[in-house]
This record gives sequence, structure tokens and C-alpha cells, in this order.
Amino acid sequence: MATFYHVANKAIIVIDRISLWTGSVVAPFLLVMMLLTCAVVIARYLFNVGAIQIQESVMYLHGTTLLLGIAYTMNLGGHVRVDILYQRFGPRYRAVVDLIGTLLFLFPLALFILWTSYDYVAFSWSLRESSAEAGGLGGLYLLKTLIPITAIFIILQGISELLKSLCILLYPIAPSNNRSTDNRTPAPGQANG
Amino acid sequence: MGEYAALIMFGAVFCILLLGYPVALTLGGTALIAAAFGIISGTFDASFLLATPNRLFGIISNQTLVAVPLFILMGVILEKSKIAERLLDSMGRLFGKLPGGLGIAVTLVGMLMAASTGIVGATVVTMGLMSLPIMLKSNYHPSVATGTICATGTLGQIIPPSIALVLLGDVLSNAYQQAQLSLGIFNPKTISIGDLFAGAIIPGLILVGFYLIYIVCLAIFKPQWVPPAKETKPVTLTELISSILPPLALIGAVLGTILSGIATPTEAAGVGAAGALLLALSNRSLDSSQILEIGKSTLKTTSMVFFILIGASIFSLVFRGFGGEDLVHQLFDKMGGGVVMATLVVMLVIFLLGFILDFIEITFVVVPIVGPVLLAMGLDPIWLGVMIAINLQTSFLTPPFGFALFYLRGVAPQEIKTLDIYKGVVPFIGMQLLMLLLLAWQPALATWLPNLLFAR
Repeated sequence: MATFYHVANKAIIVIDRISLWTGSVVAPFLLVMMLLTCAVVIARYLFNVGAIQIQESVMYLHGTTLLLGIAYTMNLGGHVRVDILYQRFGPRYRAVVDLIGTLLFLFPLALFILWTSYDYVAFSWSLRESSAEAGGLGGLYLLKTLIPITAIFIILQGISELLKSLCILLYPIAPSNNRSTDNRTPAPGQANG
Repeated sequence: MGEYAALIMFGAVFCILLLGYPVALTLGGTALIAAAFGIISGTFDASFLLATPNRLFGIISNQTLVAVPLFILMGVILEKSKIAERLLDSMGRLFGKLPGGLGIAVTLVGMLMAASTGIVGATVVTMGLMSLPIMLKSNYHPSVATGTICATGTLGQIIPPSIALVLLGDVLSNAYQQAQLSLGIFNPKTISIGDLFAGAIIPGLILVGFYLIYIVCLAIFKPQWVPPAKETKPVTLTELISSILPPLALIGAVLGTILSGIATPTEAAGVGAAGALLLALSNRSLDSSQILEIGKSTLKTTSMVFFILIGASIFSLVFRGFGGEDLVHQLFDKMGGGVVMATLVVMLVIFLLGFILDFIEITFVVVPIVGPVLLAMGLDPIWLGVMIAINLQTSFLTPPFGFALFYLRGVAPQEIKTLDIYKGVVPFIGMQLLMLLLLAWQPALATWLPNLLFAR
């Protein structure tokens, strides 16, 4: 019995670390996007030059950030829920909902994205596709590749969520259930993060 | 049975959402399960699903939506650097000596901080934590205090530059193009986020005006409900200017450059975020170690918003695959009553959905479905957008399910009864409905300014 608990616990810790790491890597991109956008504006108004490549790099960074942030946000419990019932019931109810949801919705959805995007991305690679914009950036196929990669990260985080739910249901005290409260459900008297 | 599959799926997804699994995954997952049943029973063409990766790529490479993370970043910086707190403090001390003065200060701060709104909950909580203790300490009637906070906390959704309007603008512009194509217009007119911002300004300011008039009336007729603050340090002119001018200038500049067409919303948001950061660093309300935290907080909200968009786009793909759009058309036709009836029904549905879903979800799930139909009937897209925004804000305020009420309940002290909060929002709901009626009666309130600015 205890072995499942330990294995699960270890897996949860490893996966959560990966998701947190991806988030920390891409979070600074948002500030870079801000700086590059300022650069585009300066280039246009001070030097009267268009800066399509910078503009496109902002879009590339935007796509990268929001995709790689999905698993990170999931790890922090930041994806919005309709919490009218979820908040009222106890941890067991939540664990059941999360367990069923992960099996019925998360895995099929992520696998579906992985599966359908395979040909799409492979085609883009075969062309070494670059931006359709005149004078735009190359490497569009790399940006597109992030779609299946995101699906893989979501599946990984899904495994962690699944194990967390299972542990709550199987053992009275859950391991490493260190998620912060949902950003839409601040507990009474608790500052909103 | 088969032809109603789209509606059954629509109903099912809302029931499943109530269980509390994350919205983005529930939308996408339910749609896939429905599609699987459809494929097995031969009522769904699987090739519809093959458009998914292209759709996803369309979402991440949408130039307009690049404004979203940048606006969120600006909001997070303003929030973390406590610029709003200082603003409330000096405004409160300026007006605090008068009865009702604190209420006026809270309303004005809520209006100015419109930019920092991502989701309804966050703003109401921030406003609640910031203003409720001060109002209660000054012996404000609990209903008046909570009602004012709920209303001003949700106001941010409709006063530009708000993220809600950016998202709504993008969805409506697609719906508008689709509506015109379906009418056989092959060089369709477009609407931009700037149009929607311009359209929302006058109705937003009228609402603020209503709130202020209400508080002034209370000060005259029920002064014991809105007493002046007890011991206030007088605010010096330098304090006042240093706390009000920077955020006002920042938001004015962001909005001004968008409305005058100097900058795109994305550019204005990027420069605005940089401005907010400089502001926060220059008055030492933010140290450099917090910058990474700001990035992470922005990332969380950004990914949350876009993941919902991803789930919702798969949902609407399947909805369309089941012939859902034709079905909506037919239903509106069968109902009779033309465009007025159709608008009323849509507004009512959106109002009810506002009880369980936030602005983002309704914008991504409902508007793409009903938008093209309504716009093809000849409605003005900007008017429709502003109506939807105010309608949703009203929904968030309405007991017993309104979002804003839950969030304020969460941060209000135990002595305040839930019933106090309910009573407090009733006058504000009245003002919201009045605004909706005004807009229905005089659509020019929303359409005049964009027509003037952009010569549509």
C-alpha cells in the first residue's frame, strides 16, 4: 500500500517541478515583450522605420509564453472553475470531480491536440515554414511545434493532478498537495495573490 | 434528436461546468465527447475536427490578442505597486470630511483602476480589501459600503482600457465579418478594439455619474448612512498631485493614443506597461525583486485566459459541425418578433449565464454563436458589444448568484450579513438597468463617439 503512495508522491514532486520550471522560464518573456513593443513604437516614431521582425518576435514570444504557461497555471490551480458547488463541498468531492475530469476531459483533449497537430506540424517542418509576412521572421515551424509540446506538458501535469486526486481518495492525508488557493476563490480573510 | 445535438451539447456543458472542473478543459473535453458520439451515430463529420491545429495557431498568432498579456502586465504592475491604495488614501482624505465623501472616493478610484481588471473576482477582492475596512471604520451603513464596492469593482469591465473589452472586440469583429459575408457583402466593414473602447466611454461615464448622484443623494437624505470620516489628516496638494496625476496620465495616455489612432492597442498596452513599471520603480513602491513575481502573476492570468479561448474554440468548432449555427438561426426565426425579440432573448440568456460564467467564458462561448446572427439582423456591433458588457456587469451584481457578491462576501468581516450585501446592490442594479434602457432607447450613446473619431 505504502509503495503506491511513495511512488505517486515522488512523481507528483517531479512533475510539479517541471511545470513550475517552464513557468519560471517563460514568465520573464512577458517583460521582454513589453520592451520590444516599446522598441517597435520608438522605431516607428523616432526613426520612421517599420520593425516587422521585432513585431513578429513579440508575437512569437506571446505564443510561446501563453502555451508554456498552461501547464504551469494548472499546477498552481489557476485555471478558472465554476466554483458554486466546488467550493462548498469538501476535499473528497473535489478529488472525485478532478479525477473524473482529468480522465474524461484533460487526457482526451490533450491527446487529441497532440494527434491532430502531428501532421500539421510535420507539414510545416517539411517546408521549414517561415512567416507569411513580407520581411517576417523564419522559424514559424518551431512556433507551431509548441502546440504538440504544450499538449505533452498538459498530459504530464494531468498525471500529477490525477495522482493527487487518487491520493486524497485513497489516503486521508494527501502528499505534497501544496497548491495555492484558486485565484477566483479567495478564502475569507485571506489576501488575494 | 440529431438536429438538436448542438443544443443538447450546449445545455450539457453548462450542467457539467457546475461540477467545478476547470472551464477550459470542460468546454474542450465535452465537445470532443459529443463529437465522438456524433461520429459513431453518423451525425457529425469528423473532418471538422481537423481544423483544430490551425485554429489553435490562429489563436496564438492573433496580433490583436497580443494586447491582452500586455494589458494584464500593466494591471498587475499597478496592483502590486500599491498605486491604487495611495490613490484611495489621498482621495479619501480629500473628500472624507464630507458626508458621502468616502463613497465618492471609492467610486472614482474604481473608475481609474479600470485598467487593472483581469477577472471580476480579482478586482472586487482588491477593492474590498482596500476600501471596506476604511468605510466601516467611518461608520458607513454596511449595505451602502458593500453595494458601492461591488458596483465599482465590476465597473472596470466596461471602462476602457479593459481586457474584457479587448476580448469582446476581437470576437465581435470576427462575428461582424461573418455576418456580412452571410449577407453577401464581400468587402465587409470591420470594427476594431479602438471602436469598442470609444463606444464604451460615454455609457461608462454615465454609469459613474449615476453612482455619484446616488451617493450624493444619500448624503443629503440619509447622512447618517454615509458619515464623514472621523479623524482625517488633511491631504497636501503635493500628496494629492503625486498620487493622482501619474495613474491618470498613464491611463489617459494609453487611451488617448488608441482613440486618436496614434498607436495600436498592443503598442499602447506595451508602452503603458513600461510606463507603469517606471512609475512604480521611480517612487520606490516596487523593488526589483518583485519584477519576476509580476511576470509570473501575469503569466498565470494570461495562460488562464488563452486556455479558455482554446477550449472554447474547440467547443464552437464542434457546435458548428453539428449545424448549431443554422439551428440558432431557425430558432430566432421561429420565435418571431424580429431583431428586438432576438436581442432581448440573447440579453436574458447572457444575464443568466453571468451567474455561473465570467466575462471571458461568455465572450468566447456565447458571443461567437449568437453574434453573427444578431449582427446579420442589422444591429450595430459596437452597440451590441457595449450592451453585452453592461448586461454582464449587471448580472455579476445580481443576488443571489452574482459573482461580485460572492467575492466580496469572501473578504468581508463576519459581522456583515450576506443580506446586507444583497440590499446594498439593489439600487445599483436599478441604475444598471436604467443605463441599459437608455442605451436601447438612444443607441447613439454608444455609437456617436466611435463614428466621430474613426469616421466609420
